Amino acid sequence: MKEALRYGFILAMICVVASGLLGGMNSLTRPKIIAQVQGEEQAALREVMPEGQHFEPIKKGKDIIYYKVNNKDGKFIGVAFEASGKGYSSVIDTLVGMTQDGSIAAIKILNQNETPGLGARIAESSFTGRFTNKNIQGLTDIQAITGATISSKAVINLVQEKAKEIQALIKNEK
Amino acid sequence: MKNLFKEFLKGIIRENPTFVLVLGLCPTLAVSTSVINGIGMGIAATFVLLGSNVIVALIKNIIPARIRIPCFIVVIATFVTITEMTMKAYSPALNRALGIYVPLIVVNCIVLGRAEAYAQKQTVLNSLFDGLGMGVGFTLALILISGIREALGSGKILGYTLVQKFEPAFVLGMPSGALLVIGLLLGFFNILKGRRE
Repeated sequence: MKEALRYGFILAMICVVASGLLGGMNSLTRPKIIAQVQGEEQAALREVMPEGQHFEPIKKGKDIIYYKVNNKDGKFIGVAFEASGKGYSSVIDTLVGMTQDGSIAAIKILNQNETPGLGARIAESSFTGRFTNKNIQGLTDIQAITGATISSKAVINLVQEKAKEIQALIKNEK
Repeated sequence: MKNLFKEFLKGIIRENPTFVLVLGLCPTLAVSTSVINGIGMGIAATFVLLGSNVIVALIKNIIPARIRIPCFIVVIATFVTITEMTMKAYSPALNRALGIYVPLIVVNCIVLGRAEAYAQKQTVLNSLFDGLGMGVGFTLALILISGIREALGSGKILGYTLVQKFEPAFVLGMPSGALLVIGLLLGFFNILKGRRE
């Protein structure tokens, strides 16, 4: 019994020191991490809506449904939103920029873990570029990557599905 | 000084954690798809190894033998969490590429193995050099494996195309390719070892 208490005490002391260290480290890196996340988000939004200047998140509860994009004159030009879905071997997260008339400005693959060399090529600009200026009704015409049909089709479908949903929401946006 | 250098050197070839001790193969298989991932993982693991080896050697006398494993795990987990926070703050791209394998350094057998087999019986300075050597050995092994996989599997090294019009063998970029490359390299190192004996 005495032994057990002594062991417990030593282990507890080690844990106390460790958590103190981690707490200190957390308060050092936390602001930096938040800044990184926000910086990346802004950079990604600029990438899919190159003409956008101001991105205003539209929220439902705590979740962001889409970003309302205004150009530098403050005019509403479109939206940016995230779309995710299952690919061949992973969940693919994309960020999509769409103008008000329902054509895609650009898409960007945020996260994917498809087969390296095949499906992973969906993240390359040679594929994502195929979406630019396409109307969301005509996305199914986009050519898939050779040897990566499932991953390519998955991107096309998940973008189209979400785009239609968002378009219905922003019909009356000015 | 010469002894310390020997402690450092043994981790690189004679007791290489991947090819000779055959420890920590899970992250090796998983992240060796590209050289940059290999280097990132290697540096992260080296930092954790260094930290945990030094701390374990420092507190070895106050840890009772019967609860040493949980104590080691707490020390290792602390260093891993520090590494992860630092990566997230300064290199989010690398952190994303390495994904779940950063937190999983906690259960990387190399780290616990060195604490258990070496640091808890040795001086702080020796443990420091042992950790450094093992970390560098692990990093070099990762660079070798991921170099082969990236070069033959996607025709690139660090993102630069090597040879034009080369049709890469995609299989090397997949998990089966990792097993193939590691298996062949292990065999090769065994031949080397046999020769020396």
